[in-house]
Amino acid sequence: MASCIYFCDSKGRSILSRRYRDDISPSAIEKFPSLLVDSEQESNVIPPCLTHNGIQYLFIQHNDLYVLTMTRSLSVNVAQVFAFLYKLVDVLAEYVKTVEEESIRDNFVIIYELLDEMMDYGIPQITETKMLKQYITQKSFKLIKSAKKSKNVMRPPSQLTKSVSWRPEGITYKKNEAFLDVIESINMLITAQGQVLRSEILGTVKVKSHLSGMPDLKLGLNDKGIFTSDGNASQVDSSTQKRSNIELEDLKFHQCVRLSKFENEKIITFIPPDGDFELMNYRLSTPIKPLIWCDVKIQVHSKSRIEIHCRAKAQIKKKSTANNVEILIPIPDDADSPKFKYSHGSVKWVPEKSAIIWKLKSFPGGKEYSMAAQLGLPSISDLEIPKAKRPVQVKFQIPYFTTSGIQVRYLKINEPKLQYQSYPWVRYITESGDDYTIRTA
Amino acid sequence: MSDQRLFSKYKAYEIKSELQQVNLKKHRISAVKRKNALKKIIANLTMGNFNEMALLFPDILKFWQIDDDVEVRRICHHYLVAMGPTKSAYLKDALQLVLKDLDSGTEEVRIMALRTLSSIPSTDYLNEAFKSVKSVLQSSASPRLKKTAIHAITKLDQSDHNRIWPLLNILRRLVDEIKEDSSVQAHALYVMYRIHEANEDMKMMTLERDTCFRMLEMLPALNEWDHSLVLESMITSYAPQTHSEAHHLIEIVLPQLQHVNTSVILNALKFIMYLINYVDYLQEGLIKRLSNSIVTLLNKPPELQFLVLRNVILLLLSREEPLLKVDVSYFFVEFNDPIYIKDTKLEILYLLAKHANLSQILQELKEYATDIDIQMSRKAIRAIGNLAVKLEHSASECVAVLLELLDFGVEYIVQEIVSVFKNILRKYPGQFESCVDKLVQFTDSVQEPESRSSMIWIITQHSSYLPNYLELFQIFSSNFQDETLEVQFSILNSSVKFFVRSPTEATEKLCVDILRYSTEKIDNPDLRDRAFMYWRLLSAAQQNNGLPLSIETVKDIVDGDLPLITLNTRLDPQVLEELELNIGSIASIYLKPVSQVFRLNKTKVLPKSPALNLDRDNIDIIADSSSTRSSSVVDLRFSAPSRTSSSPIKKMDDYDKPAEKVNSLKTKKRSSSSAVKLTRKPSVLARKLSMRRPFA
Repeated sequence: MASCIYFCDSKGRSILSRRYRDDISPSAIEKFPSLLVDSEQESNVIPPCLTHNGIQYLFIQHNDLYVLTMTRSLSVNVAQVFAFLYKLVDVLAEYVKTVEEESIRDNFVIIYELLDEMMDYGIPQITETKMLKQYITQKSFKLIKSAKKSKNVMRPPSQLTKSVSWRPEGITYKKNEAFLDVIESINMLITAQGQVLRSEILGTVKVKSHLSGMPDLKLGLNDKGIFTSDGNASQVDSSTQKRSNIELEDLKFHQCVRLSKFENEKIITFIPPDGDFELMNYRLSTPIKPLIWCDVKIQVHSKSRIEIHCRAKAQIKKKSTANNVEILIPIPDDADSPKFKYSHGSVKWVPEKSAIIWKLKSFPGGKEYSMAAQLGLPSISDLEIPKAKRPVQVKFQIPYFTTSGIQVRYLKINEPKLQYQSYPWVRYITESGDDYTIRTA
Repeated sequence: MSDQRLFSKYKAYEIKSELQQVNLKKHRISAVKRKNALKKIIANLTMGNFNEMALLFPDILKFWQIDDDVEVRRICHHYLVAMGPTKSAYLKDALQLVLKDLDSGTEEVRIMALRTLSSIPSTDYLNEAFKSVKSVLQSSASPRLKKTAIHAITKLDQSDHNRIWPLLNILRRLVDEIKEDSSVQAHALYVMYRIHEANEDMKMMTLERDTCFRMLEMLPALNEWDHSLVLESMITSYAPQTHSEAHHLIEIVLPQLQHVNTSVILNALKFIMYLINYVDYLQEGLIKRLSNSIVTLLNKPPELQFLVLRNVILLLLSREEPLLKVDVSYFFVEFNDPIYIKDTKLEILYLLAKHANLSQILQELKEYATDIDIQMSRKAIRAIGNLAVKLEHSASECVAVLLELLDFGVEYIVQEIVSVFKNILRKYPGQFESCVDKLVQFTDSVQEPESRSSMIWIITQHSSYLPNYLELFQIFSSNFQDETLEVQFSILNSSVKFFVRSPTEATEKLCVDILRYSTEKIDNPDLRDRAFMYWRLLSAAQQNNGLPLSIETVKDIVDGDLPLITLNTRLDPQVLEELELNIGSIASIYLKPVSQVFRLNKTKVLPKSPALNLDRDNIDIIADSSSTRSSSVVDLRFSAPSRTSSSPIKKMDDYDKPAEKVNSLKTKKRSSSSAVKLTRKPSVLARKLSMRRPFA
């Protein structure tokens, strides 16, 4: 139950606001910039909730904006507030491309409209862009009584309150297609000695639906929980050809999926929204060996030079290839005059990141490449600065491959009225997650 | 379309002329211009240019009557809500227009009108709002309009609570009406819940069993936000009457943990935590599901992650056997986590530490202790120190890590280590004395008050191991006057202790110097008083004129055995109960009970029911396979309603400090020396105060 929503610039000054309740005075926002400054002095990153004078300031940061809500009650549901703010930014992005200070000012009229529709008295209402776009457009509408042409009459969006609130009726496509993307992000934390401290697979199944009418979809996966009811021990080995059914640890579904049906019968059924959406997320924390392993040796000869030796190995199947591999190796801020030796790819020194980046366009499975670099260090330096310990970061993409071994078995599309022929397509890709890091010694 | 150029300050007459100019010729093009002029007004209202814009009220009212564009109408309503309260003269005219809009054929406009009616604080508007909300809710209006009316009730409740009762009855009827649209029902339920919660004179909302189950069955038909509204309003509204009913409810809610929306998950989690108070046993599978869905939430954006982590702390603290089974590695700090997440993760690591996983956690903490971020590094060291005190069997491992870190010799690391070592040495007397030698090597480099007084304490307590203790102490005592108060107290105490222990010439001189300095040159009354107290104590023992105060007694008072310190990880059970019912709220971020921070809020308590468990720690967790449980566990304890705890509410003031602190030193009260004091006449006291050389 937010009392209001403010868009503030990077200093915390209000750009635009919508107040939903009267329990907070309009002057409360004026305190926000100084609150930001105060908490900034304590630590460089500001926690997303501040409190002053009995008012709670909850905010998220997006580009150069603070999107802020205020409330007086401590029992306010923060999860709802943050989830809503993120959703709000997403929706705005659909309307104004990039959400930043300038675009907020540029489109203030439509943003007021959106704020009115998406929240009422501080309670989220409709956040489906597809539905909002039906009646909040850049065009203007005429009132019924004076409208002569019925085309421009604004119809009340009846779907908003129906059980399928995410899909309007009457969608038609010439060719009925559904595209499935199975994307797995790998997060890994590896010590300098090569020991895997933590590994997890975050999977998402994204759907782009170009389907007419009100289709009912049924998705089949090779998940163990779905296909075999009795829990015999799973023997998952991603390297072997024969993949048994895997067990997904935690599934999260888009609101269109019938959760109770999944719970009882283990069948994923849904009426999809139109266009792109994320059907489901899953997570696996089975131990996996690093897909791209880097052995980085950094030798610092203080006051003269730093030597880096890096060996990278693609520990994936021979048939697969990792694309767009980027290995970021941190170096001291004051290093200069780099010299590189390498056989594959390209190495660049990026002083603004205090790192060198080794890029490999393609990295076939089983291969091992190496690289050496040498950088000069200033001969005089200030007092002994504590060493910044930043890890080596690795980025990559491996197409046609899922680490978990998940596979789509079928996607049945059934539209009871239209009975058209439809084409489901599936793609798989594995990529590095936000945290695929190898610690330096 | 760019509205940027509209976004600058205008004078009223500029806009006015623009509005009138286009008014002359009613062309299509002029409609666009007119709209632009109106947009400028809104832009100026946004920027706070109220004084100028107030002059345009008559023009707005004119346009309201003639224009038939929805967007123009929207701007008019916006203007009225922003300016209405300050210009009451125009409000009457505007009211007619708003009421006309309310009867309009366009749903959009009706909604706008209803919102405007309820948000202008004037009696006329309020009366109309009450009337129209009632009529809308009783009519067969569209669900959207009805929802607007329902939310208007919250607002009306704030303005005039006394007239809210008939509307509440309507809401209740809406909730009970089976044919009503499900979304409308969800919102009606939520608003009812909120109004009950917000008002002092009302009890918490209660629901019938049938309504509760019907609402939960309705969930699949609702959108994500309505989902979380329903789940939230269910908590404490209906108390399951039997254990099996509670189990059944959990089963219904469990699938919601797989929703993608964080607020739905946390509300479902909260609901399940609430229901767990009413079950007789828990299945292992349930705990696994809960833990799994929590871990997945850790991949959300940082703000949500932060919230989830704070709630993880709560869940870990809440029971003897935590309801979460999560591997510690999920809480290892990522180098690019924002600092508030790092802090929280560190705290969780500390709470999760057990003998079994200690080596893993210590390794991580050691890693953080050499982090580039000084704050982080300090907190990691503090955590290691606290772990040493918390886990008695693993203290030596922690100490080994601390000693290893000490070798870095980095200034802030040393400060922190000295501070934590004081607690370790105090907790385990006679175990780590070998470390003292190493610690005192850093006597010169301790700078901060806390670590300085810790160092003084360490030197004083272990003077028998340190032949050169006076030399070391000299570093602190030599500039007594420049120290902070905290350190001055420590120096004073220590110098007296040294003298009492071994009354040599050196210690006596030291003691007298410090005492004299404290009583003559220091302005702080507390320090001065304490110095006088010591002074009189010592002189009384010295004179030995028939008083039962020997030098031994003084030694006992000044240098007695210290009570052992323990760490307290538990929160007050009542506070915990309330926090559990507030999962996902601001209270859960600060881990403070709602009533403590914000008095107007009602505290949530578990509603009574025969199925309520009185002892929260006593729930059996059984493996999935055995669905029948032994009857011996059936123990409802009707007879012991002593859920109230008399212990004071423990505060957790600073959420970025570890959730617990080492208990402060408590000076023992001694009754043996009671006969000495305050029997003296005031005149004697005055003479004593003016003494220059009391003993020597």
